[in-house]
Amino acid sequence: MTETIIITGAGGVGKTTLAAAIGVAIAATGARTLVLTIDPAMRLADALGIEDLGDEPRPVAGVANLSAAMLDVSASWEAIIHRYAAPDVGDRLLVNPYFRAIADRFPAAQSYAAGERMAEFIETKLYDVIVVDTPPSGGGIDFFRAPARTGDLVSGKLLKWLTGSRLPGRGVIYQLAARPMLRLADSVLGGAMLSDVAAFLVDLRTMYDGLAARSRTIERYLRSAHIVIATTADPTPLHETHRFFRELGEFAITPDSIVFNRTLPSEWIDDADRPLRGIDDPDLRALAKGNLRTWASEARRQADAIDELSARYTIDVHTIRWRTPPPETLADLRSLIDASSLFGSLPGPTS
Amino acid sequence: MPDTELMFVSGKGGTGKSAVTAAFAIAAARQGRTVLAVDMGTSLGLGAHLRHADLPYAPTETRPGLWAMSMDRATALDEYIKLQLHLPLGAPTKQFAGALTVLADTAPGVREIISIGKPLYEVWKGVWDLVVVDGQSLGQFQSYLRAPATIAELVPTGNVRRQAERLASTLEDPAITTITLVTNPAELPVRETIETMEILRSEGLCPPPNVIMNRFLEPSGMSLVDVDRLPAGSAREAAQMQLAMEAGQERWATEIDAPVSLPYLRGVLTPGEVAVQLADALGGRP
Repeated sequence: MTETIIITGAGGVGKTTLAAAIGVAIAATGARTLVLTIDPAMRLADALGIEDLGDEPRPVAGVANLSAAMLDVSASWEAIIHRYAAPDVGDRLLVNPYFRAIADRFPAAQSYAAGERMAEFIETKLYDVIVVDTPPSGGGIDFFRAPARTGDLVSGKLLKWLTGSRLPGRGVIYQLAARPMLRLADSVLGGAMLSDVAAFLVDLRTMYDGLAARSRTIERYLRSAHIVIATTADPTPLHETHRFFRELGEFAITPDSIVFNRTLPSEWIDDADRPLRGIDDPDLRALAKGNLRTWASEARRQADAIDELSARYTIDVHTIRWRTPPPETLADLRSLIDASSLFGSLPGPTS
Repeated sequence: MPDTELMFVSGKGGTGKSAVTAAFAIAAARQGRTVLAVDMGTSLGLGAHLRHADLPYAPTETRPGLWAMSMDRATALDEYIKLQLHLPLGAPTKQFAGALTVLADTAPGVREIISIGKPLYEVWKGVWDLVVVDGQSLGQFQSYLRAPATIAELVPTGNVRRQAERLASTLEDPAITTITLVTNPAELPVRETIETMEILRSEGLCPPPNVIMNRFLEPSGMSLVDVDRLPAGSAREAAQMQLAMEAGQERWATEIDAPVSLPYLRGVLTPGEVAVQLADALGGRP
C-alpha cells in the first residue's frame, strides 16, 4: 500500500522545501519515495539540484529511492480528456477555447489535475510513499475542494439552467436563443458567449460519469492521506491555519500535524535578560546584547503562537529551526528533518 | 475634481503585500488624500492591518480619509447586472445572479473581470484621490490583468466585450495605474518577482511595475570578526544568524532594482501596528 503525505499551508511558509526535505528523509529509510510538486516556479527542482523537473518522475541524483515530478496542468487535462471522453468529443474539447482557457487558468483545474496525478501515481504501486506539495491557489484548500467543484462544473448545473432540460444533446444549443432568460443574459454578457459555453458544457457533460467516479476515488485518497499543515508565526499563515481546520472539517478531513517552520531557539528568550559575560569590549557587548534582545522578541512571538495552536487543536505541533542561509543542498534538507520531531510522526512504508 | 490614481499591490505569498497595501493607504490618508483600500481576497489580509477584521463590501471609513472595502463577487455581480440593465439598485435579481454566479465559476475570465471591474468602477466614479488594491498573489494578480484579453478572445461583441476593452485601457494607462510588487531580500521572492516583471513587460497589459523591498533588516553594526570574539552561547548564535541574514539580503537585494525599502519588523506586533510602522517608514512617499 502506498502512503500519501500532503503538505499544505499558506504561501511563503516553505511548503515546497518541506516536501522535498521529507522526501529525502523518507527515501533514506529505504522506502521508494516520490515527491510531487505543483508549483510552476521550479522551486523543488532548485532545492533538489535537478534542472529540468518534468511531468514524469525522475530519479534524484545522489539520493537512492527518491524520484521527483512536477505537475503539468495542460498535459494532465489532455490525459483526463483522452481517458473519459469519446474520441470525437475529446478532439472537439481539446480545440475548444473554453477548455483551453480552463485548463490553463482555472485555479480548480490546476488543483483537480494535481489530485488526478496524485491518484495515478498511487495506482502505479511503484512507490511506498508519495509526498505531495499542494498548489498555492485558495491558500491550498482548493486542492481538497477541487474534486467536488469539478464535479459541479461537469454535472451541468449551468447547462440545466441554460437549457431548462436535464440531459441535453448538442441539438439543444440551437434552441438556446429562444429562451427568454438567455436573451436577458445576452444583453448583459453579449454575443454568443452563452451558446459557446453551452456547446462546451454539452461535450463536457458526456464525461460526467467517468469524472464523477474518479472524483470520488480522489476524495477517498485525500481522506486517507497524512496531512501536514505548514505555518510560520506570521499573522497571515496563522490565520490560514485556523481556516484549514475549519474548511477541511467540511470535507470530513482532519489534519494530522502542524509544522512550525523557521523557529528560533526558545532559550534566547531567557538568555536575552541575563548579563553577557566573557567579552571585554563594551561596544561589542552592547551590540551583541541588543541583537539578541531583538531576536528574542521574535522568538517570544513564535513561542506564543505555538502555545496557542497547541492549546486549541489536539494534534501534534512540530517545529523546524530557522536556517540561515536557507537550505540549498540535500544535506541541508536532511538536517532540517533530522533535527525535528516531525519525522517520527510521519507514516512509514507499510508494504 | 481631482483625477483618481489607481495602485495595485501584489507580491509572492508571505512577502507582506497586505501590510504594504495598508501602509500606502494610511500614508496617503495622512497627507489629506481621500483613499479607498480594496481587499480582493477573503484571507486575513488588509482588514486586519487596518484594524477592521471583517471588512464589508460597502466602503467603510476606517480612519479619517481612509475607506476600505472587501471584494464580494456575488454582490459585485449583482451590482454589475443592475448597472448593465439600468435597474434600480434595490431591484431583485436573485435568481438571475445565482445562475450567473455558476457561469462566473465556469467561463474563464468572467469572475476575474467582475472582481477587477469593481475597483476600476470606483476609479471611474471620480470620488477618490487614490484607489489602492491588495491584489493577492502574483499568479492571481496576473489572471486579473489577463481577464480583459481572455474575454476579448472568447466574446466577439456585446457589453462584456465593451466593458473588457474599457478595463484594459484603464489598466494600461500609466497616467492612472501604477503596479507595485512587494518582495523580500531573499532568493525565492526576488526570483519570482523578476520572472513576474518580465512576464508583465512582455504582455504589456499594464505599466511597468515598481518594486518595494519589504523586510529589509537593519544592519547590526557587527562584523564576522566581532562574532568570533563573542563567547559561545545565545548571543553568539543570534549574531551569527543576523550576519548570515545580512549577507543573504545584500546578495539578493542587488539582483533587483527596488527604489524603496521597508524595515524588517520584529517582536510582538499586531497587524495594525505593523501597518502603522510601515506607513511611518514610507513617510512622505506617494
